[in-house]
Amino acid sequence: MAVESPTKPTIADKIYDKLFHNYVWKSIFRTGYPNTPRNQMLVVATNVFLHLHPTRIHRTHVKITHTYCLGGLSFFMFLGLTVTGILLMFYYVPSVDRAYLDIQNIQTTVQFGQLMRNMHRWMAHAMVILVFLHMMRVFYTGAYKPPREFNWVVGVILLVLTFLLSFTGYLLPWDQLAFWAITVGTNIAGSAPVLGPKTRFWLLGGFEVGPDSLIRFYTLHVIGLPLLAAIFMAVHFWRIRRDGGLARPL
Amino acid sequence: MATAVVARPVARPQTRVRDEEVLVWPDLVFVEFIAALIFTLTLFLLAFLVNAPLLDQANGDVTPNPSKAPWYLLNLQELLLHMNPAMAGVIVPTIWLVILGAFPYFDREQEGQGAWFRTENSVRITIASALVGFTGTWALILWDSGKLAQALNSWFGWSGGDRLAFLQSVASIQGQLPWPGWSTQIPYLWFNANILGQTFHHLNFPLFLQSIAIPMGVLVGLPALMIYTLWRLGWVVTRRDALLALFSGFVAAYGVLTLVGTAFRGQSQVLVFPWDLKVSEGIPGQQ
Repeated sequence: MAVESPTKPTIADKIYDKLFHNYVWKSIFRTGYPNTPRNQMLVVATNVFLHLHPTRIHRTHVKITHTYCLGGLSFFMFLGLTVTGILLMFYYVPSVDRAYLDIQNIQTTVQFGQLMRNMHRWMAHAMVILVFLHMMRVFYTGAYKPPREFNWVVGVILLVLTFLLSFTGYLLPWDQLAFWAITVGTNIAGSAPVLGPKTRFWLLGGFEVGPDSLIRFYTLHVIGLPLLAAIFMAVHFWRIRRDGGLARPL
Repeated sequence: MATAVVARPVARPQTRVRDEEVLVWPDLVFVEFIAALIFTLTLFLLAFLVNAPLLDQANGDVTPNPSKAPWYLLNLQELLLHMNPAMAGVIVPTIWLVILGAFPYFDREQEGQGAWFRTENSVRITIASALVGFTGTWALILWDSGKLAQALNSWFGWSGGDRLAFLQSVASIQGQLPWPGWSTQIPYLWFNANILGQTFHHLNFPLFLQSIAIPMGVLVGLPALMIYTLWRLGWVVTRRDALLALFSGFVAAYGVLTLVGTAFRGQSQVLVFPWDLKVSEGIPGQQ
């Protein structure tokens, strides 16, 4: 009768044990290192960031061609824009006297300032494109169908919020491109019947783009719209889980 | 004994088949990590190579020609050239967003979800309607900018004469037809209604026809005609099919409008080729 006798732990086992089964590690992560199915599920379920996911998903949804990660990448752009945006906020003052000079300063004297500004700009464009492509993906895979009707509506709202976030950021460099793009953009809004002129005045804080517009766009861009977008994103992600994860053929 | 294992062809409700599931860690987390990594590196590379634009300081007295909105609004700016500004800038996009949001309330079938182009005919509907949206939008833009009349003139020497001059563009319907004087002053209210500073009293019919009625007719009529045709062809059967045609046509038209507004509109918003694009003010080195 063959009985397995416990082998003596190797030096690697001992190091592993010391690293991942010690008091401090377990106080942070609760589970051991995720190298067993049990720990892999636990780490997803107990980690606040990972628990956006279920612990298991259907194998077709892992295939890259099913989603092309478009929704996740849109969110990733939002996070990246938050990080680069906060860095830019350290150097930027939204006043007509300083805004343009601050941008020049960021580009010329701030360490990695130009890089941060470039990243922020290109990520913003990428986010607009990714959100639109994500909408196309959801449509062509029929993922808006019951029971996910309302999440599609939330998605349309998030699309509009993405446009608005990008649009409000467009004015902040206070150069000719920004000034006239916002003039044209707000003129479009101002052409609405009856409510248009009022909306335009409210948006600009005056009859034309000026100091009050800059502070309004800045406030909307750095706190108002991101908060709103974050709330709708929370609902969007929550509803994906509640409505049964990604859509699957019946 | 054998009867116990005979397969039963019963339509079972959607159940979770554990065998077909994978663990999120590592399978999905890995994919997400790689996607995030690729995007971070690509964007870093782009940010190293291409600088964000910064023109001269804002100056309300110096208007660049053309002045353009951010690129994702240039589709609306393009629409503005062809119809009443309130319609192009606000009413049409608002109505479209409501329609877009209402998609799942119109198409309530659960069939055809969870995979790309799952329903029958969906690929050919998508391709056909995208082609219609693409060519239709281009044709309308070329016609309304007078390029079609120009081309007919220079290719065939056909000027159309004065009697057909109103066909040159939408605006010439107002300008080139002998409208009687009363048609620009059709009262529809017997008093001046003043709502938030705007007066409503009479209707300028030629202007209404040119800037509201015809564009609205085109925006509603052409998609409807396309869906009707696809239905008669037997391609569009379900509501999902109708939405496929509508959405694909929209994406194509939206793309064309954005492209034309971005790359084909030169000074005074005249239709030009991208290589003839010039901006007069505000770009260093260009006057």
